[in-house]
Parts: sequence; structure tokens; C-alpha cells
Amino acid sequence: MSFDTDRNWMYSLSGRHIHLWQWTETAATDTVGSYRVKLPSEYYGKQLIYPNEDIASGLRVEYTAFSEPFVVEALEDTSARYSASTIAFVDGGGGADTITDTANGFGDFGTTDKIRIIGSASNDGDYQLTNSAAGTLTVATGLFTAESLGESITIYQIPKAVADASVDESSHVNLNRMLSLAAVDYIRAQMKEAVGDLQGKEYCMREFWKKLGDNESNKRNISMSFPASPFAIK
Amino acid sequence: MTVQEIMERTGLKETGLAKAWIKDAVQIIRSSYPEHIKIDKQNIIDGEREYILPVDMISLLSVSIKDTNDSKYKKIRRVSNDIVVKEDTDPE
Repeated sequence: MSFDTDRNWMYSLSGRHIHLWQWTETAATDTVGSYRVKLPSEYYGKQLIYPNEDIASGLRVEYTAFSEPFVVEALEDTSARYSASTIAFVDGGGGADTITDTANGFGDFGTTDKIRIIGSASNDGDYQLTNSAAGTLTVATGLFTAESLGESITIYQIPKAVADASVDESSHVNLNRMLSLAAVDYIRAQMKEAVGDLQGKEYCMREFWKKLGDNESNKRNISMSFPASPFAIK
Repeated sequence: MTVQEIMERTGLKETGLAKAWIKDAVQIIRSSYPEHIKIDKQNIIDGEREYILPVDMISLLSVSIKDTNDSKYKKIRRVSNDIVVKEDTDPE
């Protein structure tokens, strides 16, 4: 059984691989009766060893990913979201699998929306809808494990990618408005560079980074309040 | 914002070039700020040190190991110096 993994495990990176190490205190041991005892005169020390146990889904890597650059609709329009504990999953066997809601709260979802499910016992993930109604969402067969209602589950719409060959002028960029404007500056910079206008390119790239910074700082707006002194002059 | 709107704002005529530059811009934005975060989970196998990084990874944010004692994933540290043990033929 693994314990205090934040203190006993470490990792190193090697190319496209991650190497896991366990930090252990080792010693030569012997078993006396049913007790394991450390032999005092033998080697004793701290060292890194390979993982010495099986842990199902034991390694969790959090990373930024390259998501699909082009999507079917603007990011601001993918707003359908629903949370409830009245949601159940039905394994349709040979037929389509479905999600049901006894409170009929799926009205905002479109027929071919792509959705993400979080909070379920065994059906978290991304799915493509094949049909939708207020009380039922339908997906392809063989995707869900049957699960009765009770868990607090959230289902929300995520952008649906456009296949690379199908990207055209009507496709949307998978970025919010501010980052799309940054992409405009990036393209302007590339166009300036193509005609040898390096000063113009530098200007556009500065605008690009400025918009990226603005987008990030917009998430971190904080409000500060100070108590007004009773003698303050307004 | 559509590809067409970006092309009109920049005065770019070639759709193929616009697509390529938009992809570049998206790549730079994703690698600079954690906009799209994903989680990958793998089984840990007794005696196996090497695990593959996700193929769609741009930047690594954290690595955690499941503490089976309390069923929580706890963030682990990266070994900062070069490890003396290069291969362990008897990892028990």
C-alpha cells in the first residue's frame, strides 16, 4: 500500500518518458518468527528504487495540451451546462446508450453537441451526442457503464472540432475573443516579416504578447476594500 | 472568431496560409498559458520505472501519485540532480 506519496515518490524526465522513483530506507532483513527484523551489521541506507507495487491508475499527469485549433461554433456559443443528482446512465446493450434525467434538464443541449461528463462514478469523459431531448441524451452504443441516479453529475458542452481537411473560412478558431485578436496580431506580424518589415513585425508581436497578457490578467482581477475612517473627508 | 473574419482583419487572401498561421498562433498561445489542461492517468506496474508522457502534451504542469492509503493523488517532486542509479536489475 502506498502512503505519503508526496514524500516517498519522485520523478525524472527522460526524452518522451517519465521515470518514477520511490525513496526508501533499505536494510538487509531476516524473519524471526513472524517478525521482520533488520540485521544490524548489514548494509543500511536511503536510496531510490523502481516502483515496488502495482497501483491502478496510480500515475496522474496534468499538462497543457494542443487542442483542436478549429471548431464548428464560436467558443462563446458553447455554453450548455447542466448539473444535477437526477442523472442516470443507461447501457443500451446492442442499441444506443443514453443519459436520462428525471428532472428533464437537458433542454439546452443540441442534437449533435459534443459534451463532457464529470462527477460520475464510471462514465466521466467526452462524448458526441447523436440525439437530444429534455429528458434524454443519446450517444453511440457501447460507451456507457450502467449507473443509477444519485451522484452529483455535471454535463457541459465542449467545442466540436472541424476535421483538418474540412476547415474553411466559416470555421471558428478555438480561442476566445481576446486570444483571437492576438492571433490577428500574430498573422499581421508574419505578413510584415514576409515583406521584410522587421520593425512592423516587432510592433505586431508586442501587440500579440500584450493581448495574451491581458487575457491572463483578466482572470486574476481582484477587488480590494478598505474600511473608511470615521474622520475621512469625502 | 471565424477564419474569414481573421483574414479580413489582416487583409490576407490565401486561406491555406491563414490556416497555417492560425495553427502556429494557437500553438504559441497554448504553450505560453495553460488554457487547455488535460489529465492523463496510467497504471503503475511493480518494477517498471518508465512511463510515457502524453503525446499531445505541450507543457507539463504536475505529476501526482495515488496514495492508496487515503485514495488521494499527491503531487510529487522532480529529482533535481542526476541520479546515480541508471538501471536497477533487482528493483525489489
